[in-house]
Amino acid sequence: MIREFAELLRYRELLLNLVVRDLKIRYKNSVLGFFWSLLNPLLQVATITIVFKIILKLGVDNYSAYLLCAFLPWTFFQMSVADSAMSVPFHGNLVKKTYFPREILPASVVLSNLVHFILALGVFFVYLLVIGTPIRITWLLLPVVVLIQLLLNLGIAFFVSCLSVFYNDVKYMATVVLNLLYFALPIMYFIEHAFSSDRIPDSLKPALYYWNPLALLLTAYRKILLPPFNTATLHDIPFNYWYLALAGVTSLAICLAGYAFFNSKKWRFAEQL
Amino acid sequence: MMEAITVQNLAKTFRLSHDRPGSLKALALAFRRMKLENLYALKGISFSVKAGETVAVIGKNGSGKSTLLGIMARVYRPTSGAVTMNGRVSSLLELGAGFHHELTGIENIYLNGSILGMRRRDITKRLDAIISFAALDPFIDAPIRTYSSGMVMRLGFSVAIQVDPDILLVDEVLAVGDESFQKKCYAKVRELQSAGKTIIFVSHDLDAVREVATRAIWLDSGEIRADDGVESVLDAYLAQSEGRP
Repeated sequence: MIREFAELLRYRELLLNLVVRDLKIRYKNSVLGFFWSLLNPLLQVATITIVFKIILKLGVDNYSAYLLCAFLPWTFFQMSVADSAMSVPFHGNLVKKTYFPREILPASVVLSNLVHFILALGVFFVYLLVIGTPIRITWLLLPVVVLIQLLLNLGIAFFVSCLSVFYNDVKYMATVVLNLLYFALPIMYFIEHAFSSDRIPDSLKPALYYWNPLALLLTAYRKILLPPFNTATLHDIPFNYWYLALAGVTSLAICLAGYAFFNSKKWRFAEQL
Repeated sequence: MMEAITVQNLAKTFRLSHDRPGSLKALALAFRRMKLENLYALKGISFSVKAGETVAVIGKNGSGKSTLLGIMARVYRPTSGAVTMNGRVSSLLELGAGFHHELTGIENIYLNGSILGMRRRDITKRLDAIISFAALDPFIDAPIRTYSSGMVMRLGFSVAIQVDPDILLVDEVLAVGDESFQKKCYAKVRELQSAGKTIIFVSHDLDAVREVATRAIWLDSGEIRADDGVESVLDAYLAQSEGRP
């Protein structure tokens, strides 16, 4: 695996070029260009805010900020997985005719989504300052959380992109699972909702929200970027930063396992496509 | 002289694709009665090529020529046996691999060059040579969707030829562009030959083979039928394909 990684490093310029190409092409020939990257989550968040704050009357101050704070990283995850399912077949001609480390294909779509995510985070910070959120020292942890999520996204992308070469179903399955996860993960709701629910067995709660790296990361973004909230019915659960370390270890393991799995299959891609 | 390429007992077997389950459902249904039908594309061939030789590989469709080149280009892994390549390999199996029609000529040169394993600064150094060889100077800043198909091929050829390989693998791609561009291509191939580069050349165009190669390998259903000077192999090949004894 170390040899494979050295070969990948040798081809880093190709990786970079593919990322740049993705970014250049995505919104070429559209009037708003890059703003689509921001407009899309903003419109979704606006709709959800209207539904939850005005129609359902959920009484959390700045609900949009809490929502957006988990929604942007979710979009990063979701787009990385969805794009990676297409990454190898889309470059079928390249794979069948030229040599290069195949893992560059899923890695490049994850990295170009990372760029979009970082830009969206930039806009999100402007929004936070506009609504007057206090600057917090824990903001310094943001790069760590982003890095852990990058590892997780890469790992899942390796699995999905590799399997989708051999089974078309993976593409459809990814869409379905992503749609379910969107509702199941703490994006529109808070882990405080889940922990105050007596219908979920107490023994299950840590597994669902702390051990599961994706749910933990989405919550971590909220806890480090935004102040704790308290409403009449919900009480903020302080964040245990050791769980972040756990998520880091899990994500790294998923990334390495995905990479090893991908490498064990990648030389059959040319025969399969 | 040093061997540039050594091929030892090289075999490649493909599983026929219609027998592979394309989905999980098909896998579940076909699991028990799935019988694997194998296609023996190469059946244990051996040969070696000296540095500086130009070898043509000829044979009917499906004789294993492209599989052989694919293994040399590291697109496929051999089923058994081994190929050793001494030196930097560039493959012209697909011109303009990775070109994107929305990007400009320059952007595509960098993208394609990095796919072929070139460094950014090497590409920058050779940029002028690439553009002038392709004769695309006035259009190089336009997106290549505005190019004619001949122009795209010329650009792809120009990038690939500038990789500065020790071993060049060519699959039927010398016949691109108009007559004057083809002349340039052949001139470039001569230049590489006299610079001592090794060239492996797959073609159905026997005139081109005669013009470029000194040695020919005739592949027939995955086996070497003949491996000798280009004239004698071509004579035998033509005699066989015309049905003469």
